[in-house]
Amino acid sequence: MSKKTALIITGFLMMAGFAAWVYQFKEGLVLTNLRNSYTWGLYVSGLAFFVGNAAGGLVLSSLIYLFGVENLKPFAKIGALTALVNVTAAMVSIIPDIGQPLRLYNIFIHPKLTSPLVWDVAVLNLYAALSLTYLYILMLPDLKGRLQWLAIKVDNPKEFSQKLAKRLAPFSLVAAVGIHVITAWIFATQGAREWWHSAALAPDFVAAAMASGTALVLAVSVLTYGLKEQYRQAYRTMSIIIAVSLFVHLFLMYNDYFIHAWYGAPEAMETLSITFHEYLGTHAFEVLAPLAAVILLLNEKVRNNAAAMIGSCCLLIAGILAHRFLLMPGAFGKIALTISPLGLQDVEWPVPIASGRYSHVLDTFVTEWHYFPSAVELAIFTGVVAFAGFLIILAIDWLPIVNPEES
Amino acid sequence: MRRGMVIDLEKCIGCRSCVVACKQHNAQPAGTWWNRVVTPGSEFHAVPPVKGREYFLPVHCQHCQNAPCEKVCPVDATYRHTDGSILVDFERCIGCRYCMAACPYGVRQFNWEDPQKSMQDYGYLPGYTFGYPQDYRLNGRLVYTPVRPKGVVEKCNFCVHYLAQGLEPACVRGCPGKARFVGDLDDPDSEVSKMIRDKNGFTLLPEKGTKPSVYYLPPKRKEV
Ligand code: SF4
Ligand code: SF4
Repeated sequence: MSKKTALIITGFLMMAGFAAWVYQFKEGLVLTNLRNSYTWGLYVSGLAFFVGNAAGGLVLSSLIYLFGVENLKPFAKIGALTALVNVTAAMVSIIPDIGQPLRLYNIFIHPKLTSPLVWDVAVLNLYAALSLTYLYILMLPDLKGRLQWLAIKVDNPKEFSQKLAKRLAPFSLVAAVGIHVITAWIFATQGAREWWHSAALAPDFVAAAMASGTALVLAVSVLTYGLKEQYRQAYRTMSIIIAVSLFVHLFLMYNDYFIHAWYGAPEAMETLSITFHEYLGTHAFEVLAPLAAVILLLNEKVRNNAAAMIGSCCLLIAGILAHRFLLMPGAFGKIALTISPLGLQDVEWPVPIASGRYSHVLDTFVTEWHYFPSAVELAIFTGVVAFAGFLIILAIDWLPIVNPEES
Repeated sequence: MRRGMVIDLEKCIGCRSCVVACKQHNAQPAGTWWNRVVTPGSEFHAVPPVKGREYFLPVHCQHCQNAPCEKVCPVDATYRHTDGSILVDFERCIGCRYCMAACPYGVRQFNWEDPQKSMQDYGYLPGYTFGYPQDYRLNGRLVYTPVRPKGVVEKCNFCVHYLAQGLEPACVRGCPGKARFVGDLDDPDSEVSKMIRDKNGFTLLPEKGTKPSVYYLPPKRKEV
């Protein structure tokens, strides 16, 4: 597929998503499949997903400049670019979730400092700014010809770029870890939702993000640089980072489940049963797809085939998307106000919640909801994915992201 | 001063008058209920889960002292009034619904669409309106409005607009069983504090650490 076709397809999906958002803006969030008992869905999962994908970039860059993993150097710019694009997509993806988007300025004029959402907005913006600066610095020596006007004047751009990149690396690393930890805290701080209220969530976010973020960098790298001999070692390094991160993620996740399952408190069991019973297929996918992907990536033969490598990376990213989707059912599938009625033995009873939406078939007060995103939600989310793809392709086409002498 | 409520489950007859009074007085849009009364353990309201054993439980905002909804609100639209109650500013709320994820009691309601439209879906007569007809502002902040904007969150405001007139909340006034009492929980000699002490008052989900300002008195005998 040529760059042009890819731009046309992603551009079209982007416009379709935007149109869906305009429609939703007019009609209200009634067009989603959310309701009072189940208030967050695909849009918020999307935030977590894109934030995760933004990890690869600066983690990669800091590996190069802090830990001296030189062979990753040619991919530092791709890393910074995917980071910038994904963190932007994360911010874009959350806007459709806002009931009154025109009032968003309130976050800046009346921020409440106890809200993890405020911290997240701050750290995401900071990370976006850092990624942009980083990308710019790395591109500086190559801003020539028609891009000359973009370049600031320095004596020795190459040296200047290397020096500054090295200086920025520690900040990038802190910010990179920061966006995942703080995004995780949005959820993990909420005692009302057992599914989220865990000390394992933030480290798990970092691990899952390192897997999906690096997979994205790897996929884009293979796509742009191909499988030349001099990159083999770097691809192997990235595959190992992905694999190790994924194993850490799976360990943290199952460690949490295991502890709760062993103790067997009814509320924890109910929460677990949502994922392991109602959403078993999705859960199987979130585990098996990334596992299959890393087994493939660790295989030398697979790494001899560009399509297989890119496919494996996509499989892993899709698995992490399923993981992000599953943030919600466990949290909202169970009514938090579940009580043991006075005088009854062994009864756990959820107090129904007004659904807030009219339906001739459903009750006014509800306790259950098997959520699946509506067409509008899917269109908007696809639009944001396309937006990220569009920006990456465009940037690679226009900017000196890929080193010409090496590609 | 900490304004709180005591609900005597012994006296509650499950008639849901408070639910209706709350809905009507506060002009709640179709499908929105700030207050609900349930029969714990039973699939249907007012049907005993076990023969001869039933009680009723009214649930609305608990005006928590450690309110997660207040802490998560990114724009301070959900905030604490000087008397300890938790209010929502209809003009400030951006509709992120973080507070709904944060509240363990399921009492927060979102305006998924324009309330005028949902009234039509529900088949209300065109032009029919109900409820306290005027906006009410507290220090400039819109804490009650009969016409809700689409895309904002709402919940029990402890009838702050009636408090200003020296009136009790609609649910308290509308309760035929006289099961509801409002008073100062900080004052050990207030009627509510005494009731909590003398009659084993308890709160919902104490394990969540939200420290509700709504207490319940356990029923001695169950209605049949
Ligand atoms: S009951 Fe819910 S909405 Fe009311 S104060 Fe407590 S957490 Fe907030
Ligand atoms: S929905 Fe409104 S009241 Fe609730 S947290 Fe968001 S801005 Fe605050």
